[in-house]
Amino acid sequence: MSHPFSGESHQYNAPVRWLAGLALFLVPEGLSVTEFERLHRDLAPPAVETWRTIPWKTSLLEAREVAAREKKPLFLWAMDGHPLACT
Amino acid sequence: MLRTKFVPVALDQWYQRRQKDAEGEFYRKIAGQGPRNDFKGTTQGLYAAAPDGTFLGYNNNRGPERVRKLLRKALDAFRPADAPPIEAGPADPQYAHVPPEGGLVVDVTAKVLGGYPEPKDWHERIFQVALQRDHLWVRKDEHEALARGKIPESLRVRIARFHLVDGTRGEPPMWKREEIRRLDLALAEGRLSGSVHLETESGDRGFEADLLGFVEAKDGRVTRLDLVAKGLFWGEGRYTKGAPPGKFPLAVRFALASGKDAADRIPPEGGRGWHADYIR
Repeated sequence: MSHPFSGESHQYNAPVRWLAGLALFLVPEGLSVTEFERLHRDLAPPAVETWRTIPWKTSLLEAREVAAREKKPLFLWAMDGHPLACT
Repeated sequence: MLRTKFVPVALDQWYQRRQKDAEGEFYRKIAGQGPRNDFKGTTQGLYAAAPDGTFLGYNNNRGPERVRKLLRKALDAFRPADAPPIEAGPADPQYAHVPPEGGLVVDVTAKVLGGYPEPKDWHERIFQVALQRDHLWVRKDEHEALARGKIPESLRVRIARFHLVDGTRGEPPMWKREEIRRLDLALAEGRLSGSVHLETESGDRGFEADLLGFVEAKDGRVTRLDLVAKGLFWGEGRYTKGAPPGKFPLAVRFALASGKDAADRIPPEGGRGWHADYIR
């Protein structure tokens, strides 16, 4: 079996160089479409999440108006970063 | 209990404690009765209050039992009474941001794909599997450019600086313009592709990722804007402690918002306090 190096200069011989070039051509750079599709699906928010089934309002004044009309107390989820859309 | 006995509202109190308008005043009336009543710092937590602003309870512990206790206590203390209407008046323009007219709202989610050690408890596990959510805002002129098959530099930079971040454990630091070491993102024949290298000057935080996505348009309107960035992230921010050690895989996903969700109008995290810089 011949060694892939061609003598003292340690240069790859022609078949090895050709295979290396083919490999570079066949291995796509960056994300593949298959990986894109998988990640786009996997990172989609779940269709049903219990905490999202709560009818959160995003305006405090609007919530106050409804609470006054319906004689209910307000519950404020007040965070650093919006609880529904940031982190 | 929350659905039927309360009117629930979700807020980023960073805005309300600053707003010089009726909404801000009403928020400060409630929060000022709680333990976090210095509005120069965070007032975050869970509050219960009557519609007239009477304080009914506060808790900054999100454990289910503690929340239930807060709700029950608030219901016991609540006495329905007439609350005079509040004149909304003009919203404080410094903080009242709405999605750009004629533009686009894009849902953004991000997730750490691996690299964490075994979690110590359920709380840590939640952070390790958390999905970060945010919105990308696209201006009208950028929307029109996308529909013509071009991606403007302003949009490429906004995506990189404000949305290729790890906010899965808390509010992430955004990237400064000079921290964009490389940004190749091209749109050709409906295909968005490229790569990015973001890194702080000290090298303590960075993200090297490949991007792939697809844009479709009909009658001058973008009907599809799907994009994924995946790569290796390293480091953490002041409010995102607990990152996996070393370099870890992170993916960020973009998709057009449906517009049907109340959350679709919530401003992007990256524009908080820097809206003009964000949207320029």
